[in-house]
Order: sequence, then structure tokens, then C-alpha cells
Amino acid sequence: MTTSTTSRPIVEGVFTDTAAGPRLIGTRCRACGTPHFPRSPVCRTPACNSADVEDVHLGPHGVLWSFTIQHYKPPAPMRFDDPFVPYGIGLVDLPEGLRVLTMMSAPDPAALKIGMPMELVIEPLYHDDHGNAVTTWKFRAAPAQVKRG
Amino acid sequence: MRDVAIVGVGMHPWGKFDDKPLTLMCREAVGAALSDAGVAWNEIEAISAGSSRFSGGFGWGLNGNEIAMDIGLTGVPVYNLSAGCATGGSALSVGHMLVASGQADTVLVVAGEKMPRGFLPTSGSEGDATDLQYLQWACAGMTGPAFWAMLTHRRMVDYGTTEQQLARVAVKAHKNAAHNPNARYRQEFTLEDVLNSAVVSYPLRLYEVCPVSDGAAAVVLCSAEEARKRTTKPVWIAASVVATGQPGDGIPRGVSALTTDGRAHHSEVTAAVRKAFATAGVAPSDVDLVELQDNTVYYELAFPEEWGLCEPGQAEWLLERGETEPTGKMPINPSGGFLCFGEATTAMGVFEVCELAWQLRGEAGARQVPDAKVALGQTIGLGANGTAVILKR
Repeated sequence: MTTSTTSRPIVEGVFTDTAAGPRLIGTRCRACGTPHFPRSPVCRTPACNSADVEDVHLGPHGVLWSFTIQHYKPPAPMRFDDPFVPYGIGLVDLPEGLRVLTMMSAPDPAALKIGMPMELVIEPLYHDDHGNAVTTWKFRAAPAQVKRG
Repeated sequence: MRDVAIVGVGMHPWGKFDDKPLTLMCREAVGAALSDAGVAWNEIEAISAGSSRFSGGFGWGLNGNEIAMDIGLTGVPVYNLSAGCATGGSALSVGHMLVASGQADTVLVVAGEKMPRGFLPTSGSEGDATDLQYLQWACAGMTGPAFWAMLTHRRMVDYGTTEQQLARVAVKAHKNAAHNPNARYRQEFTLEDVLNSAVVSYPLRLYEVCPVSDGAAAVVLCSAEEARKRTTKPVWIAASVVATGQPGDGIPRGVSALTTDGRAHHSEVTAAVRKAFATAGVAPSDVDLVELQDNTVYYELAFPEEWGLCEPGQAEWLLERGETEPTGKMPINPSGGFLCFGEATTAMGVFEVCELAWQLRGEAGARQVPDAKVALGQTIGLGANGTAVILKR
């Protein structure tokens, strides 16, 4: 018997693979311009609170504000492939005005440096019981030739 | 509003008590507080309790009711408060309001918690794109220590904080806890001991992150008139404030934050502390000691700056000169803090008030802050909850 494995996002409507590359899915308030991630049905800026919001794609470029290396395997319900490999987790400042929480792409979190340019990727977080990749959003150090702005 | 006094405090030691029910731990803490106050159980007119996250309360957070049923129902109103790790501070605030507003003359504030072992798991509903806890933990791989580690790492870049300075906060904490019979970890550490402990989330090491513990604490509040009958050493609640956060902190409470000014700060706590200063008519320079929520050594450096107790970037300088020790200019956590007690999450706000009351009464023994007159306590909890309390003797 043969099985084919596929990949699926860990959650729907939070990130997407577009023709132009991976993007986060957020909203922008049409009244005051405030961005939100994930999508919000209203603008959460207290002085605005408008319900006039539109979906926007965020990323793929940003700057690493801070990061750490997660050395121990977090408890369930968080899932990771065995054997557990320490991973990087960071906060990336997007030019859209958001600081986004994100895992770092493998394999070398120790090569990260605060202030370095980053780019969004969609990669496996773990593989489910059937061998299917379950993906999430991550960032990795951007190649030097990538123009940002 | 009426003046409110603390006339009794009681604490069950912090530790792991696998074979002891939470009800028994709370009964002992309540008994100690009543005895300290000279108040009988049937003189308590209302109970403001912390809802435990992990234990007791019939699984509904009804810990105040459970305690009342365990000791003996007297028909008084019971309020169960839930505010994450700010729960104890929230319970104190409601207890304060009950007395200040005249609804009750004598009120019990109590909170206890028995924690599961190991690193805390989270809740969150699987696959729900609107569940911020699920997105943070399951999708973005974040843990409590990872969150604190990112703040700490950024501070190292912004202010040049060294790993030795981070370790020194833990050394100071354990030096204090060695003199505290209620602390779980009372051994002193050298700088090398801390630096040699396992890295949990770089740059934070095991001894720089608070463990989890079981614990219970209780305080008895009275109106000024009642307090004068009960004690010659009342401790006055000059302010007890609850606040929640606002956008622009630069710290994701879900998976993103607005980078309004690029800084990282905690608006729920700053708002509570600033309002407490204003309510109490106290300036930051008037504060003789602080018990703050040191889930990790980072907070002992960052919080005093966020509250105006010292200038941004000055905390390490004060630490290295011993100014945060009980005999210094800005004593922080003379109890030993969360680092040495371990966090019994929902009980910590009441734990802080017990220590501050002992300090203001001059009963803190070898960890006593000399001539302490004004004290500040603070908690921060899930859901952008913050609390602050200012006590005076």
C-alpha cells in the first residue's frame, strides 16, 4: 500500500502562499490606517474603533527586533517532530507598523543577530500522524541582495 | 471613601505539597491572618478570593466559596476574582473597595494555588484563527520564558546589560530569601552558580526564571475605626488599583503589536502604578521598598524604569552598587521574590502584601528594610491585567 503525504496550514486565514510569495493575512482600518494581525473585524485603536476594515497582505520583509532560542520542548498541546531540535523564536518589525511574533526558520538560529533584515517563509512546524507536513509562518535571515522598502 | 487598614496577614510557606489539599493550605493561611488580626472567623463580613487557575474551587474558580465551606459557612458574600497572575492583586482591590465603600467593616482577602509541575502549558482552541493563545503558542512556538527572553535580549542590545548583571539579580534574590522562612529556595547562590545553570531560553538561565510552586496567603482588612480597636500597628492601604493595557506597548499580547514608538513597555502595569502614586499622593522617590513580579530577572531591571523609580538604563548601575538590596536606596523584593518562592500564580498579589506588611511593621527580621514607611506591590497577568498597591504604616 502506498500513501501520499501533503502539506496543510496549522490554521486557516492567517498566512498564505501567493504568486508573489508568502504573506501574512491581516486587516487595515480604512478610517485611520491601523494594521492588525491576525485579521480583526474592527479597528482596535480605541479612538477609532471603526468597523470599516479591509484584508491586507503583510510582509514578506522585516527587521529582527529581538529573538531567543527555545532550548526545551514546550508542553502539549504544542507539537514538534521528534527528536526535538531547539528553535529560534523572534519578533520581527514589519514596515507596515507591526511587530510580529514568529518562529525562526531552521537550521541555525545561532546565526541570527538583532537588527538584521528578515524575510517571511511558510515551512513545516511538525508532521502529523500520517506524515503530512503541518505548516506555519516563520522568518529567516534575508539574502543580502534582497532590496527592502 | 473610608480609610482601609491591614490588621492581619498570614502565609502558608511556598513549596511543593503534593499530599496536602489546597483547602488545608488556605485554612492555615487564613488562620494565621485571623490570629495576627485578633479577628474571629465569624467577624469576617465579606470574602474577596482569588480564583485559582490550576487547583480547587470545584473547577469553577470558586475558591472563596470552597474556603468558606471548609472553615464554616457564615452567610457572608464571597467574591471570586480572576485576572491571571494579577488575580491576587485584583482580589485585594475588591476587598479594599468593600471596606472603603462602607459595605463591610472587616474583610478577608485570600488566594491559594497548587501548580502543576514543569513548564506551564497553555489553553487555546485548535485551529481557531481568532484565539490569540493558540496562535501564540501552538502556531508561533512561544512559551513564557521565550517571551521574557526576547525582552531581555533586546535590553542587552539597547542598554548593554550583561549576562553577569542578569545573574546578579538572582544572586541578590537568594541572598534575601535565605532569611525568609516562607521561601521555597533559601540557599544562597554565587554568580557562577547562576551562570552555570542550564540555559532555558537564551539569554535566560534556569535560576533566572521563576519556578512554579504551591502557596497560599491571606490578609484581613478593616475600616479605620475597627483597626484602632484591633491593633497598634495598622498598615494603611493608600491605593489599590487595577488596570488593563492599551495598544502601543511594543509587546505582542497576541502575535503582533503596534510599533508606535519602538519601545517595549507594559501599559497595564504602568497605568496601575501611576494611578496608585496619584491616588496615594506618593512620588516614586517616596517609595521605601518594592515587591514586584519577577517572573524573571528582566523585570527587576525594566519595571523600576517603566514606573519612574529610576532612569531608563540606570537599573544595572543601582543593582551593582547594592542599591536594590534591603539596605540600599531602592530595595526590591526583600522577600526573595518569585525567583525564590516560585510562582503560585493567582496567590502572588496577596503574598506580596503579606511581605510588605511585615516590612512596614518592622517584623521582617534579617531581610528588614530599615525604617520602611511606604511600600509598593505590583502584579501583571494574562489578558493585559495589571495591579498596584501602595501601603503606608
